Amino acid sequence: MAVFTLRKLSFSYPNSDHKALDKVNIAVDQGEFITLVGPTGSGKSTLLRLLKPELMQNDEMTGEILFHEKPINALDARESAAKIGYVAQHPEEQIVTDKVWHELAFTLENLGQKQAEIARRVAETAAYFGIAPWYRKRTSELSGGQKQLLNLAAVMVAEPEVLILDEPTAQLDPIEAARFVDTLYKLNRETGVTVIISEHRAEELLPLCDRMIVLDQGKVVCDDAPRVIAQKIDRNSPYLPYLTAAARVFIQSGSQGTCPLSVREGRQFFKQTAVSKETTISQAQAESTTAALELKDVFFRYEKDGADILNGLSMTVNEGEIFAVLGANGCGKSTAAAVMAGVRKPYSGKVKLFGKALREYKNGTLYQGNLSMLPQDVESVFLRATVREELKGCEAVIEKLPFDLSPLYDRHPYDLSGGERQLAALCKALKNQPRVLILDEPSKGLDPDSKERLGELLRALKADGMTIVLISHDIEFAAGCADRCALFFDGGIAACEDTADFMNGNRYYTTAVSRMTRGICRNIYTVDAAAVMIGGGRS
Amino acid sequence: MREFHEYNPIAVAVYYLCVTAVTMFTMNPIIIGISLVASILNYALYAKGGVKPHLFSLILFVILAAVNPLVNHNGMTVLFYLNDRPITAEAAIYGAVAAGMTVAALYWLRAFSKAMTSDKLLYLFGRLSPKLSLILSMAIRYVELLRVRWRKIQSSQRALGLYDDGNLIDAVRGRARVLSILITWALENGIITAETMDARGYGTGRRTSFKLYHIRMRDIAIIAVCAAAATIEIVGLNAAAIEWYPIIEMKLFEPVSIIGYTGFGILAILPVIINTKEAIRWRYLRSAS
Repeated sequence: MAVFTLRKLSFSYPNSDHKALDKVNIAVDQGEFITLVGPTGSGKSTLLRLLKPELMQNDEMTGEILFHEKPINALDARESAAKIGYVAQHPEEQIVTDKVWHELAFTLENLGQKQAEIARRVAETAAYFGIAPWYRKRTSELSGGQKQLLNLAAVMVAEPEVLILDEPTAQLDPIEAARFVDTLYKLNRETGVTVIISEHRAEELLPLCDRMIVLDQGKVVCDDAPRVIAQKIDRNSPYLPYLTAAARVFIQSGSQGTCPLSVREGRQFFKQTAVSKETTISQAQAESTTAALELKDVFFRYEKDGADILNGLSMTVNEGEIFAVLGANGCGKSTAAAVMAGVRKPYSGKVKLFGKALREYKNGTLYQGNLSMLPQDVESVFLRATVREELKGCEAVIEKLPFDLSPLYDRHPYDLSGGERQLAALCKALKNQPRVLILDEPSKGLDPDSKERLGELLRALKADGMTIVLISHDIEFAAGCADRCALFFDGGIAACEDTADFMNGNRYYTTAVSRMTRGICRNIYTVDAAAVMIGGGRS
Repeated sequence: MREFHEYNPIAVAVYYLCVTAVTMFTMNPIIIGISLVASILNYALYAKGGVKPHLFSLILFVILAAVNPLVNHNGMTVLFYLNDRPITAEAAIYGAVAAGMTVAALYWLRAFSKAMTSDKLLYLFGRLSPKLSLILSMAIRYVELLRVRWRKIQSSQRALGLYDDGNLIDAVRGRARVLSILITWALENGIITAETMDARGYGTGRRTSFKLYHIRMRDIAIIAVCAAAATIEIVGLNAAAIEWYPIIEMKLFEPVSIIGYTGFGILAILPVIINTKEAIRWRYLRSAS
């Protein structure tokens, strides 16, 4: 039986002439696990929000949305709140109360449940999601992954029939994201809840889901099992980036047979096709020996009695290279970035920029043409009402950009998409022409296209002689643009090598392709390289 | 081990209300004495080491006790003259008792604030009004969120070279800018929070309020003991009459007042008794197994 039936659904926002959704027909069966992908602005969020009546005025809508064969608007408010669960992108902003237990009880309180019933359901849910150990904690003490898990649990406590998730893992690191997706899959299998999820990160989702829907400019372009879609897509398709690494290698190399999706299937595929060729990677990086940024035995803690966040951190970033510091969320990477940028002062150790200690740059000269940092939350950078005012004085930077920002000039910075916001903030960081640029999680929450553009920009800046320190948990992104990578762990650098050696040396903390080719062929860690090796590559 | 502060917040609140009220509304030296000793013992249950708070209390006591005889010269028994002004024994004793009362009340309130965490206060407010308790809970969450945000914005503005602590005007301007971003950001977040509240059924009808604390027999027992003791106090204290000036006349040991002192004494050291009993029982259970 269909849970949702969408018939000829069209929708456009007030004051907008183009259609956000255009004659969408979708039937969602009970218990299905559906992944929704598409570029930014393709109408994914609009579609998902229309399925949750509380979130969207659907007056401008034509066509119909049926929930269990009845128009969705006929649904009683309490029924709709309980039966259709919704989780959005931002872990932080979705939390309403100050305590974990209160957050879990919140939905049931709203629905007017009795104390005994709330107690039972909250207990059950907390146990199922593994929340029990932090049941009495403050919500502000949780990590991003825990917060998002709490948001999911707080929705599941009402026993919804359908779960709608709008890019829920965009703000999480890969390990947290994988854990979140696993929980969703487990819920789907064990409780039969229908899942509709939109996501940029297909790697974990596609091998698990029943159905994949590709949306572009408000239209459904593909709607089928992921493997069937992968089989149909060719190497020039714009939807290629939404497939998993294994599928992309298969398609880009023009292979025949069954398309692999997961890393495991990818390994099988490599075993059958890859002749053990030795591929040497051209070491095209500039062999610079001048140190741009140097950290020596740096120790840092936030409070006198607290634990060391940086524990003897030593690293050297050479001039003119892109240096990536990789590690899980909450391991202290951002603190390291703040220390490098001179925003936080270490209690022991030295931080030098071009051979001169940071504190010797007097009267703000440090941030005038020497160093600049773009923080993780780029919202904290914007001050003005329009992008034009925001970027005043950045003309020289904008001219050099490999793309055009001018269409965004009259919009409010907060109204931009994640990718556009990141680029605008980056322009601001480049305003004072820094020689060293520190970026904290610049690829977080970006769709594949925006990531591609960002990577392009970083390479262009590097070609101009800029030194870039990339702090990230996004291994695939770092693999695509960094010269050297370091693994940050336990307050220090656990490994630091050229990107190729780093990716090939790591077993878990490496790209999907590297995990597939490990022990089969050497030095292959990107999709492009793998496709070239297997056959032809992109023509 | 169920220590006194782990009793139901209502019982704990009623208890502290009773002892503090009795202490503050009497000048009976016996009651004040009992209260002072018991409040210090009780506070010691929560204070982990450190003599600083006690030192502070001592200084406060000395100052308060000294002030009365210096400004109040009533009384028949002159001890000595200071600047041709008589310092009387009556005023000195009255000062000491009043100082003891203040210090004792302070100790009770300190223990109360240690025992009642924000969680428990919210529970109390929630009993009064579920709406108020939700608003407070959200407010606490937002204050924490804004504090973290404030720090983030400050450091990111600094690293972009937009913020300079070099001179005062720049520093003020910088802070104003941080505040403006903080507000925009908070409003932006407010929309998302409001949406999730809607999505999770807020405003669809009557709310209930989930409580983490249960009322058990012993909580009711505590409340009953408090009520009984408070009644005895009122009766007992009425029987004891005190005249301070011009000469102290006290009828402290009427039979009814002795019952009152005993009742208050038991009430005042109740937490100490409960905790000690629990500690002994815990030990016994541990050694038995």
